[in-house]
Amino acid sequence: MLSAKTKEPIVEMKNVKKAFGYIQALEDMNFSAYAGEVTAIVGDNGSGKSTLIKILTGCLKPDEGEVWIKGRYFSSLTVKQSIKEGITAVYQDLALDNCKDCAGNIFLGRELVKHGIFLDHERMRRSTEELLLRLHISIPDITQPVERMSGGQRQALAIARAVYAGGDILIFDEPTSAMGVKETSRILKLFLELKAEGKSIILISHNLFQVFDISDRICVIHNGRFVDSFLTKDSSPQKLHELIVEKEEELSDETMAK
Amino acid sequence: MKRWLSKYSQQIFLFAAMMVICIVLTRKSEYFLTWRNIRNILEANSYRLILAIGMTFVIASGVMDLSAGAIVSMCGVIMAVVLHMEIPVPAAVLIGILSGMMFGIVNGLLIHYTGINFFILTLAVSGMLRGVSLIITDGKPITKFGQDFIYLGIGRIGELQLSVLAALFLVLISVPLMFHMKWGSYVLSLGGNREALVKSGIRTGFYRASVHAFLGVMAAVTAVIITARLNSAEPNAGMNMELDAITAVVMGGTSIKGGKASIAGTVLAVLILGVIRNGLTLMSVSSDYQQWITGFLLLVSVLISEIKVHKFRTLMK
Amino acid sequence: MKKRILAVLLSVSCMAAMMTGCGSKADEPKEETVKEEEPAGEEEKGSGVDDILADVEAKMNEALGEMPETGKGERIGILISSTSNEFWGTMKTRYEEAAEELGIEVEVFEASAEDDTQGQLDALNTMIPMGFDAIILSPIDGTNLIPGIVAANEEGIPVINLGPGVDMDALADANGHLDGKITVNFEEQGSTVAKDMISRMPEGGKAAILSGLEGAGQSVGRTNGAAKVFEETEGVELAAAQACDWDTEKAYEAAKDILTANPDLKGIFACNDNMALAAVRALQEMENEDVMVYGVDYTSDAKAAIEEGTMMGSMTYSSTIYTKAAEEMAMLVIQGKTFDEPVYLPLTLVNQDNVSDFEGWR
Repeated sequence: MLSAKTKEPIVEMKNVKKAFGYIQALEDMNFSAYAGEVTAIVGDNGSGKSTLIKILTGCLKPDEGEVWIKGRYFSSLTVKQSIKEGITAVYQDLALDNCKDCAGNIFLGRELVKHGIFLDHERMRRSTEELLLRLHISIPDITQPVERMSGGQRQALAIARAVYAGGDILIFDEPTSAMGVKETSRILKLFLELKAEGKSIILISHNLFQVFDISDRICVIHNGRFVDSFLTKDSSPQKLHELIVEKEEELSDETMAK
Repeated sequence: MKRWLSKYSQQIFLFAAMMVICIVLTRKSEYFLTWRNIRNILEANSYRLILAIGMTFVIASGVMDLSAGAIVSMCGVIMAVVLHMEIPVPAAVLIGILSGMMFGIVNGLLIHYTGINFFILTLAVSGMLRGVSLIITDGKPITKFGQDFIYLGIGRIGELQLSVLAALFLVLISVPLMFHMKWGSYVLSLGGNREALVKSGIRTGFYRASVHAFLGVMAAVTAVIITARLNSAEPNAGMNMELDAITAVVMGGTSIKGGKASIAGTVLAVLILGVIRNGLTLMSVSSDYQQWITGFLLLVSVLISEIKVHKFRTLMK
Repeated sequence: MKKRILAVLLSVSCMAAMMTGCGSKADEPKEETVKEEEPAGEEEKGSGVDDILADVEAKMNEALGEMPETGKGERIGILISSTSNEFWGTMKTRYEEAAEELGIEVEVFEASAEDDTQGQLDALNTMIPMGFDAIILSPIDGTNLIPGIVAANEEGIPVINLGPGVDMDALADANGHLDGKITVNFEEQGSTVAKDMISRMPEGGKAAILSGLEGAGQSVGRTNGAAKVFEETEGVELAAAQACDWDTEKAYEAAKDILTANPDLKGIFACNDNMALAAVRALQEMENEDVMVYGVDYTSDAKAAIEEGTMMGSMTYSSTIYTKAAEEMAMLVIQGKTFDEPVYLPLTLVNQDNVSDFEGWR
């Protein structure tokens, strides 16, 4: 049983490779996140962030390498297993069913039933209202199809869905990109609250200030490879920025040289 | 209230159009609004409605099945062959229904595992089934099945024919199936956003296969009705039935992209088309007008839903 | 919101206008002119044709037995196959003309296509509650109208079967009956053509048959009639018999294939003129003008082809006499007579030798 203070990672990827046809999305990925921490993954487009998440959630299987969750090794992680282990993800495309309403999306895959077979729309709607209230997410009409909501509201809903799932390892890919300042700060506060409850959060973000605002650990990846990982307090936005740019130039030099 | 109007605008349009057509027909022909004639309309369209309900679920799941008519033909032929082998009617019907289910499952699994576009896959399956149908029958209809089987096509309970009762039953169970049960909800999500289901850990293959199996069973029931009625299993049966079903489903308000469906809409659409067909016959008008009117109704119905969507987008800006 | 309501109202009223405008029986213009061409030269009535017609009518009346009382205004419902074939289009016109002559009212109904079995049954079912005194029907195949005939029997509406036959066993199984049957001897059509063809191939040779819709009365009869004669004649071989569903495209393809497989083919008998003309097209494309082509129905296109020499002949009968006799039979049944045996319409073969005598044929 892992405690929050232990140095064992709660989630770990070792030497993972994944290719799609000719494109090597992950070349030699090593990644660790620790319990009770907010780990930020930083890297430019094409660094393999999405692939990384999909492997952790079981949507994709690595070509080579190992995936460890809570100290257990999984040779071929499935989505169901990943969910069972407590991993919940909010993807960039949100994976919401646009035709369904808020309750329909929150409860997708874990619908409440009455009399054994009928969907209990009433109960699901009430639970959804309570959940959104609790998370201070404001959505005026929760019965309309999700496609009618603004980008920020949809993101908030996806986050609420992940929270409701009750997992203790939460992964967020660019969770506030469509939100305004107020909404964003509310969500960041929510992440800190979740962390206080003992959950582990993996956050992917372009927004370096956001990263420095709430993360404990930063992991830099580039071109499918792990670059560096350090505690947030040991770095700064400027240093991080330099590191990324430096890596960029290094790589373009390499390509030029070839 | 306004929300309700907007949400059901297509169905309301269809209902209004139906009222208008009925009023016009009542004035044009003294026979239109008689019970006998209304009963004829219901009986002539019961099998169309049954197939259309099956198609509603399939379209709700984001695809279309172009082989439905071929499945009808094939099931009819299979039942015909089996009946001629002296197998009792209930067993023969069961075999027919299982066949329909099986063909549906094949369609579903093909779509799920190959990832090839449903249009091509179901078209191919259609060709193959029609071919097999032709080979088995040698191009000629198989006929004469005995009164017990024929009863299934024309028998009545009270005033209502079995096929009409079957259609009614189906409509009644389809509503809870689609909107109040997990199965229907997942079928809708297959069309709404399949990825969302995958990422929730749901085995989409099962729902894909089962929704097509459902349509296959509906096609088999259709086959029972028309084969019994005509006392003949034709290899060319069901020609274009899938297109008629798709027309009715889309006209009724089920979105072609999937995710959103309307059973009431399908019912209204099938009825309207049936009323038009009947009206044209009563007035001795050439059936060519029927095509024109069908196309026109479909266009207007779809436009109404588009206007609704567009209007909302402009509101958002 | 307003704009949308307006659009809906507009389209709904547009449709209402359309439906009101189209198809009112009283103000329906003669749309038949679009569908069928002028029947073979009605203007010049040579005395030759009138004689032939009078002769046919006399034979027909003999077969009917007695003449009904005219002018009593009975209402008869008539169900044909589909006016997409000119033959049925002509029949429809003749039915209406004969009705005027006999002082009765008729309404003609049809299916959407010559192979729409379900649609024809639907039409019959619609006709039954319309209060006709009798119904004359020509089924698309042997069994598709049986449920409707039974329903008509139950309502006490006399049913007359013209032309393509109802399967009597299946009808009996369903507890139905016909009140009269008037037809042409389809076998005779086939055999007459076959004999004429053979008379033109004294050294023998190969022949082929293009049949219509499988299971359809006329198709089966004509095919069998011709096949029998071919097979019984020494030196003549039936090289191929293909079902083409009355479809011109299928007949075209079949003719091509048969000719390719049998380059020494001497004659083709197609079960109707539409298919015969398709075969003629195929032959022209394959640059073979020697093959004799026969059809049935003597449509105006067939007439032209026979005059040109591209078709050898076509079986015909007088649609005028046919429809008149059918209506007379219906009237007789309404007025109390029973018919136990089918009544046959006399047949005629028009070929390149006698085609000029048939100007004005109807």
